[in-house]
Amino acid sequence: MTHLLSHLASVALAASPPAEGAARAAAPVLGRVVEGPWTAVLIPGLPLLAAVLVALCAAGRVRSKLPAWITVGCLAGAFAAAVQTYLAVVHQPGLAQGVRVLEWIHLSWGEKPGQSFAADFGLYLDSLTMLWMLFVTGLATLIALYASEYMAHDLGAGYNRFYFAFALFVFSMSCLVMGDNLILLYLGWEGVGLCSYLLIGYFYKKPSAVAAAKKAFIMNRIGDLGLALGIMLTFVQFGSVRYAEIFEAAAPYLTLAGEGRIGEIPLLIQLIPVLFTVGAFGKSAQLPLYVWLPDAMEGPTPVSALIHAATMVTAGVYLVARFLPLYQCSTWALPIVAWTGAGTALLAATIGMAQFDIKRIMAYSTVSQLGYMFAGLGVLTSAGAAYHVFTHAFFKATLFLGCGAVMHGFAGQLDLRKLSGVAFMKGWGIVGLAMLVGCLNLAGFPFTAGFFSKDMILAEAFASPTYQALGWVLLFTAGLTAYYTFRVFFRVFIGPKFYEPGDELHAHDDHGHGHGGAHGHGDGHGHAPAKAKATADAAHDFHPHAPGWAINVVMVLLTVGSILAAYPYLISWVPGLIDASSARVIEVAHGGEHAHGTFFGYDPHAVMYYVSAIVGAVGIIFAFVLHFVGRTGAATAKADALLPVFGPLARWAQNKWYVDEFYNFLVRVPLLVISHVLHLADKLLVDGLVDLAGFMPQAAGRGLRRQQTGALNGYAFGMVLGVGVIAAIGAVLLW
Amino acid sequence: MIGGTLVTLLAQGPIPADMGGVTLAHYLVVSAVMFVLGLVGFMVRRNLIIMFLCTELMFQAAGIALIAFSRFHMNHTGQTFVIFVLTVAAAEAAMALALVVLLFRRKETLDGAAWRELKG
Amino acid sequence: MEHLISPVLLYGACAIGALGVLVALPRERLTPAVFGAILLAGAFGALVLGLGFAAPDQVPNFHFYIFSLIALLASLRVISHPRPIYSALYFILTILAACGLYLILSAEFLAFALIIVYAGAILITYLFVIMLATEGPTADQVEALNEYDRVAREPVLAAGAGFIVLAALTTLLVGGSTGLKADPRLMPGDTRLAVMPQKVNDSLRAAGLIKGDEGVIHIEKERRWGITPRRDGNGTLYVADKNGLGASTRLIPQAQWPADLRLSNTEGVAFSLIDGHPGAIEIAGVILLMAMLGAVVLARKKVELDEAAKAQAQRHARLDEPDVAGVTR
Repeated sequence: MTHLLSHLASVALAASPPAEGAARAAAPVLGRVVEGPWTAVLIPGLPLLAAVLVALCAAGRVRSKLPAWITVGCLAGAFAAAVQTYLAVVHQPGLAQGVRVLEWIHLSWGEKPGQSFAADFGLYLDSLTMLWMLFVTGLATLIALYASEYMAHDLGAGYNRFYFAFALFVFSMSCLVMGDNLILLYLGWEGVGLCSYLLIGYFYKKPSAVAAAKKAFIMNRIGDLGLALGIMLTFVQFGSVRYAEIFEAAAPYLTLAGEGRIGEIPLLIQLIPVLFTVGAFGKSAQLPLYVWLPDAMEGPTPVSALIHAATMVTAGVYLVARFLPLYQCSTWALPIVAWTGAGTALLAATIGMAQFDIKRIMAYSTVSQLGYMFAGLGVLTSAGAAYHVFTHAFFKATLFLGCGAVMHGFAGQLDLRKLSGVAFMKGWGIVGLAMLVGCLNLAGFPFTAGFFSKDMILAEAFASPTYQALGWVLLFTAGLTAYYTFRVFFRVFIGPKFYEPGDELHAHDDHGHGHGGAHGHGDGHGHAPAKAKATADAAHDFHPHAPGWAINVVMVLLTVGSILAAYPYLISWVPGLIDASSARVIEVAHGGEHAHGTFFGYDPHAVMYYVSAIVGAVGIIFAFVLHFVGRTGAATAKADALLPVFGPLARWAQNKWYVDEFYNFLVRVPLLVISHVLHLADKLLVDGLVDLAGFMPQAAGRGLRRQQTGALNGYAFGMVLGVGVIAAIGAVLLW
Repeated sequence: MIGGTLVTLLAQGPIPADMGGVTLAHYLVVSAVMFVLGLVGFMVRRNLIIMFLCTELMFQAAGIALIAFSRFHMNHTGQTFVIFVLTVAAAEAAMALALVVLLFRRKETLDGAAWRELKG
Repeated sequence: MEHLISPVLLYGACAIGALGVLVALPRERLTPAVFGAILLAGAFGALVLGLGFAAPDQVPNFHFYIFSLIALLASLRVISHPRPIYSALYFILTILAACGLYLILSAEFLAFALIIVYAGAILITYLFVIMLATEGPTADQVEALNEYDRVAREPVLAAGAGFIVLAALTTLLVGGSTGLKADPRLMPGDTRLAVMPQKVNDSLRAAGLIKGDEGVIHIEKERRWGITPRRDGNGTLYVADKNGLGASTRLIPQAQWPADLRLSNTEGVAFSLIDGHPGAIEIAGVILLMAMLGAVVLARKKVELDEAAKAQAQRHARLDEPDVAGVTR
């Protein structure tokens, strides 16, 4: 074992620095597209088919698990198609492949170039696309399978709705990632936003879920505005929204940037990536638009795992990676991306340390890790960022699904003060093990996938002379991450066995189904019978039900995937893919000496493994001492004694640094004031005018009502008088 | 044949082009006076049947004007329209008189003022 | 603009006419209908005289004055007579007089149609309804009138409104029709002669313009008869003997046509009606049918007397037959 590990380490170290790997040779040919394999059409096509079929199921009031199997089947097909397409794409490295599915938008208002607008439903397949689609379709398949059991309590009610939105999400995501133009990307962008909204608000009877859905939608709108403006500016500047043509048109600027003459690039061109960044920050939950993501945990856990951890939130990373050529043409875009990412990573990590809701901790950790990815993009290791996306997708999905299994089994209980020793309970071993693997990954334990991907980013940050401070921020964050990750693990999954069921007990029993029978798990008790009284009685009778086969299989597969995700690092798989795509980092001529940052005089690429391993270990040890050693119950741990030391800091972190309240004060309060003022103006002025218009005929009618006597002759007199007046006017005019 | 003779007798000659020495205005004045008489009658009389009779009077006045214009413009369309006026008058008379009979049966009076409560 | 009648005369006459109507309208005590009639006749006479002075070259037609006076005075009595039966009868007189005017205007078809339809049918219906819908006279009051027939409502206001309308209308009439003269040309209906070979043949034969077997020819190629009336008087028509086109074909220019070779009024109205307004005829037919159905439906309906009328009916019954109280009619 030791031998194997040391062998792995030596291989890993030998492969470093990955940026200088062999894959450098296959430089991408931007702006050229060759015909791609038709199977690529199946990747968005099968999820769409699944969505249609599930919609038909919903129309037919299907009450079985049929929608789940349809979705799982179609998504598995899409995954197979993605693998097939991936093989075809890597067969021609550096060449983007295009598949035109159907003609979509063709406008023209003149003959000159720039006087037409074309956006087809076409696919742009390069290695970046395929990297994304591989884990999107793969994880979506697994999570759909997981959800088939997880959502079983909603069979016949929301089950169809869930799978419809789920399949539609995968379709939208593939449009986003595979589209060959910005309009299709925008369609997918909005589509995933819509599906996210639908799924966050899945439990629409819960006010908090509705509020969270609205919050996510509105926050995303702000970002989407930036993206939309960016797309418009792109069209204005480059005359096209198709990637190939944009890259072709941007090639001269890229050359300028490569020669270090970035100042000569027009400002409007430099503005485009900044606008894109706004969109990316909205979708990927970065400062200052991150606040929707923690609240999005109101959705079902599989949704949190797929959409709000693994795939959708990485759309921003994809956008930046896809347009990295443009970003490299901008003076400010990459520093903005880097520093915002690092700031978000640190802030979210500090908040995550102080939360008690394990799903929320995972949410903040997602925000934090997304910050890592952006920081990676900002310091120009797109390969590191993409690899981190890849590994993060696996281990974060594992963590979320583990939390989901806990939530599912303990009637919605997520408070780490009310659960302990879960891994040792009967039937929970697999979940506990999976959580351990996930936590090790997230904490950056040596030789895990998360360790390698995080190191790529850290090393590149320290390697860049201008981003030394950023490297320290990220390193500190890595320590915090290790601490709060294992805080969850030590408190919930090991230690003395204790549990207190959540408040979803009644809700579950109201659905009138037995979990025991449905899942067939070992203890044979099923749910406690519903009692009118809340937790005390219910807790007494409550028996947690361990996950069934679907959850366990998926957990195992994801755990294996999380472990195996480390392997691509050893063969520099991701850097190869990235360098063959538009996300390749160009070499900037620095005119003479090539400034290279160091870590206390060492090459960061060489020493960062040890440094980050030590930092991660310190975080884990802190967590071990504070949350495991000597803990006898679930509610308290030694860490509580430290609270007075940190004083207000801890309280602030627990209250998420009052960011929500600050936004409330900054945006909602002024809006409320303005709307009240406008409401008053509307009431008094506009309504007043309308009322006046209504009042005048009313008053006239009140006066004229007396003329309506009911006598025919009176009406005749009125008519005659009218005729007489008209005739008299005619006569006077004629006179 | 009798008609033709009568026309010849009255109009002093076969189809004179000059309207028998009378200008269009003469007929229109007759028509206007008759129309106003109908109007006044409709206003002052309270008997429902007489009120309808007054509307017929107004129809007649309109008919005279139409025929005069028809002759004046040497165009038969005016006369055709009088036929339609006749049609409408007949239909109206049938309906109105049926209604009058109904109303009379209910209230035993023809006074239009008896139905004042219909004002709503 | 130029006026046929001076405003003083015009509005004076209108005012006198309104006064006449006012005098003639039924009143509670005294109704000098004759004075009203004289005033109205005087006013009308003044108007017509004014018109006559305005166009002295046009010889006034005696019959016009007779018929229009009868029509207007009868109209006055229609609106002023307190007995509905007499009103209806005066209305028949009005129609007859109007028919006289129609004849002067050479609309003989409508004149007779009016007599048949209006005086004959519609007015008889009115008479029936008047008789149906009148309370039976009581034994002591054979000549009693209903109050609502005896007294006019607001005669002064009505006469005033009537004056305004009449003044305005006559202003428009005499002001607007000054320069209007009758169109002497061929009536458009006369071009229909082109499809009436039998009439043309009869007329030509009566005038001695064709003899024996001759007749209007049919031009096979153009699928029409050889008759071409034109409104400018330069029309032509071809006649030939029975053998058809050949040496015997003759041309008769419009100038030589007999004076009576024109459409009669009835024929003209027929063409205008059937050829010119076929849709309107259909609609008129539907309207008449609906009116008939409606009248039948309405008149068949059994009506409940309302409370007041019931009480009145019972009171009547008790007065009539005091011995059998409670028996309703």
